[in-house]
Amino acid sequence: MEHIRNFCIIAHIDHGKSTLADRLIQACGAVDDRKFRDQILDSMDIERERGITIKSNTVTLEYTAADGEAYQLNLIDTPGHVDFSHEVRRSLMSCEGALLLVDASQGVEAQTVANLYLAMEYELELVPVINKIDLPAADIDRVSEEIDADLGLDPFEAIQCSAKNNIGVDGVLEAIVEKLPPPSGDPEAPLKALVFDAQYDKYRGVVMLVRVQDGVIRKGESIRLMYTGADHVVEEVGYLKLEKVATGTLETGSVGYVIAGIKTIQDINIGDTMTETERPAKEPIPGYREAKPVVYSSIYPMSSEDYGDLTKALDKLKLNDAALTFTKVSSAALGFGFRCGFLGLLHLDIVQERLEREFGMSLLLSAPTVQYDVTLTNGEEVVVDNPSFFPDAGDVERVEEPYIKASIMIPEKFLGAVMELCREQRGEKTQFDYLAVGRVEVTSEMPLAEVLFDFYDRLKTVTRGYGSFDYDALDYRATDIVKVDIMVNKERVDALSQLVHREKARSRAMHYCDKLSSTIPKHQFKIPIQGTIGGTIIARKTINAFRKDVTAKCYGGDITRKRKLLEKQKKGKQKMKMVGSVEIPQEAFIAVLKTEKEK
Amino acid sequence: MSSGGGAGLYLHVPFCSAVCPYCDFAVVPADASRSARYVQALLAELELLGEEELSFDTIYFGGGTPSALSRADLESILAAARRSLAVEADAWLALEANPEDVDAAALEGWRGLGVNMLSLGVQSFQEEELRFLGRRHSPAEGERAAREALAAGFDIVSADLIFGLPGQEPESLRDSIRRLAELDPQHVSCYQLTVHEGTPFHRRRQQGRLLELGESRQGELFELVHSELAAAGYSAYEVSNFAKTEDARSLHNQKYWDHSSYLGAGLAAHSFSGRRRWWNEPDLERYCSRLERGERPLAGSEELDSSELALEAVMLGLRRSRGLDLDRLRADYGLNLLERNAAIIEGYVEDGLAVMDGRLRLTPRGLAVADAVVRSLNLDPA
Repeated sequence: MEHIRNFCIIAHIDHGKSTLADRLIQACGAVDDRKFRDQILDSMDIERERGITIKSNTVTLEYTAADGEAYQLNLIDTPGHVDFSHEVRRSLMSCEGALLLVDASQGVEAQTVANLYLAMEYELELVPVINKIDLPAADIDRVSEEIDADLGLDPFEAIQCSAKNNIGVDGVLEAIVEKLPPPSGDPEAPLKALVFDAQYDKYRGVVMLVRVQDGVIRKGESIRLMYTGADHVVEEVGYLKLEKVATGTLETGSVGYVIAGIKTIQDINIGDTMTETERPAKEPIPGYREAKPVVYSSIYPMSSEDYGDLTKALDKLKLNDAALTFTKVSSAALGFGFRCGFLGLLHLDIVQERLEREFGMSLLLSAPTVQYDVTLTNGEEVVVDNPSFFPDAGDVERVEEPYIKASIMIPEKFLGAVMELCREQRGEKTQFDYLAVGRVEVTSEMPLAEVLFDFYDRLKTVTRGYGSFDYDALDYRATDIVKVDIMVNKERVDALSQLVHREKARSRAMHYCDKLSSTIPKHQFKIPIQGTIGGTIIARKTINAFRKDVTAKCYGGDITRKRKLLEKQKKGKQKMKMVGSVEIPQEAFIAVLKTEKEK
Repeated sequence: MSSGGGAGLYLHVPFCSAVCPYCDFAVVPADASRSARYVQALLAELELLGEEELSFDTIYFGGGTPSALSRADLESILAAARRSLAVEADAWLALEANPEDVDAAALEGWRGLGVNMLSLGVQSFQEEELRFLGRRHSPAEGERAAREALAAGFDIVSADLIFGLPGQEPESLRDSIRRLAELDPQHVSCYQLTVHEGTPFHRRRQQGRLLELGESRQGELFELVHSELAAAGYSAYEVSNFAKTEDARSLHNQKYWDHSSYLGAGLAAHSFSGRRRWWNEPDLERYCSRLERGERPLAGSEELDSSELALEAVMLGLRRSRGLDLDRLRADYGLNLLERNAAIIEGYVEDGLAVMDGRLRLTPRGLAVADAVVRSLNLDPA
């Protein structure tokens, strides 16, 4: 156990986490250069392209340190984004230490701080690492100051490196061995192992990633998952060295994988504790939290014939994504689809992109919504995450919506703009702290719903890309929510209905009317587009009728050509959604979810 | 004159003294030796059509410029048609002519051939519009040709107008229509300028040297054409065709719109009978040389299934002022249009685009968007 180090790398997006992981893996010779590719731990295309980590992964490295001893280094790769903070937590629980990576030119960002607090919660030993020191814009002195002021860590302990150009990577490896503690645990005690993530393998079923705290996992022995209570026989156990290496046992303090004949991800709970069936541990490892969706959106296939394919695709995605929830819904305008729950906007984005890329689906999404707690006048309490099910205004006594604490780090010159933005987003208790000279952290308590609509884009705009943002869930607070319906040619398009704060209802409705009127093509009749609350019109736009669409000459030689053109155009219409007699193109449904650029 | 129950024969004359920049018909510049060769080929084609069992009651000389052919050529072509095909003795005969080809001798010749309808390519009464369109006649020449044709005693004199030219003001179009109406021809065809691929206008548009009239202005002009002509006593019987009386309608052209049989002879000519449509070689050299080898100059054919026929029936029927015969549509293709499209059609009626009176008819405003109306209808059989 003295020669095991379990660690992760904490970093803001783009600060070089995956590149540093790649270098550590190469330095330990875990992969030969021929097989190496960048971002080797990120196996999904979408992870590699966006440079983000979505699923946790782990790799066991063999390292011979300067002291001549051989060490087993378990690098647990974690997602950095707040949507996946549950996964971050579980990964952190599997480690004794973390490398805190900071970009030498960008400095400390909101995500770095948020993850640092998490790491401190789990009492991890932290080693700051300043990356990209060879960049022309690198400012090691300033970053050192931020490490001291913002993170409260000793900047003199910081290791300097450039993962990209393989500078200082040995120093990082030595620091892992010297500064991070080995695991502690009782090899004789009943088995206690944290299931910190799971992967789905087409041939083997569920592959659990585990960290053994006490005891030993042995092939052929019966294990029990304490929350589900189910018993399974270990079919295979071993280390992940980019590929699975079966070892027959996994010792105390180690990190590895277990295959135990479990068919689907739904049969296990990530964060569960694995113990022995014969001699179960008394208590599970504390800190288990279920990942609950906070953002809801309905997904419809562009063509209703593809509903079956969408069902299959979601079922497959779910195998690998335990946090995704979905139930069947039906829209008058869009036909059958699914009401899906997501951990956050990034999660939603990723699910959408995977459905489109991996399964070739063409999709329509409704506006993301949070969950509202609604108290009815008869005292009944209901949870509403779908505008279609929002009760009549007359029946509503009280509505509460989820709040978050937003943390925004910005260069000082954007302070005014960001304070204003927070105010517009209904932020409360907005305050700011100077982190270092010229750097400010703004915190604000705001409704999660405000973040869903256009916050990211607007923050990016007002800070010209220099703002970083993170948030924590707070509580539910009373609010004044109305349901805004959108009528196209006097027919309500249920998939465009949304729940909005009363103060913002008009501007949101106007935004929808504007976007729809610029994306729905002219028809041979006038199309009124209206935003309404309970039948009262609060916004309106009209698409004028086109007046001319007829072929001038249609004689003997023209008929075949004309018919073929009409056939082709009629086919093109299948890509449209019909609402009454109005054809709404897919881009209209996409456009309403995007905001205008600041003028 | 025939009642119009038979088939139509179309005879194509592809030659023009110069090719207009908007024209996408099978047309080539006139040239005496090419013309002589073509007439021989056309005669040969007519001989080969001997097996056709159709009986013809209309003949239409279209082009190109049929008026550029000599009376002798026209006569021998007609004679060949009558030798080879069952052409009724009193078959209705139409001929297209350019104003500059109209003189006393020509008029007498066409009258002698038995031409019932003389169709004149007047196009406009504005000097600069005619120049833009690449026409070789002046407004005065157009007027003269129409007057002389009307005086010559044809059953029907028709005049073509083109509207919707880039930058065209309603005033100039109204002026052309009024000057035409004063001449009082029995029939008028009024076509919106269309920029077809492969034409000089199309190339100019691609180079940004031709700005088409906006869609809303086009609609305005379309409605102006219909209202002006209606005021002058012409009733629209199709999107682009107007006549003073029922008898003044083009007996031949109406066959295209109700799926009657028609046979086309000549370059690129199309034929239709039953469920089949076929068409000739569009290349002059190949057309002639295939006939010189004794081959029929076919370029392609298609067999229409019921849904294609139904789509054509709807698309063609809605272009006509008499509208769509819904009962026949149901009987022929099992398509209950009204039931399948109740809300949409009701909307059109409400908006004043259509009228329902046993048949489905489009109003002038509806005719202006007839293609969009067809696209919006569900034509799947119930």
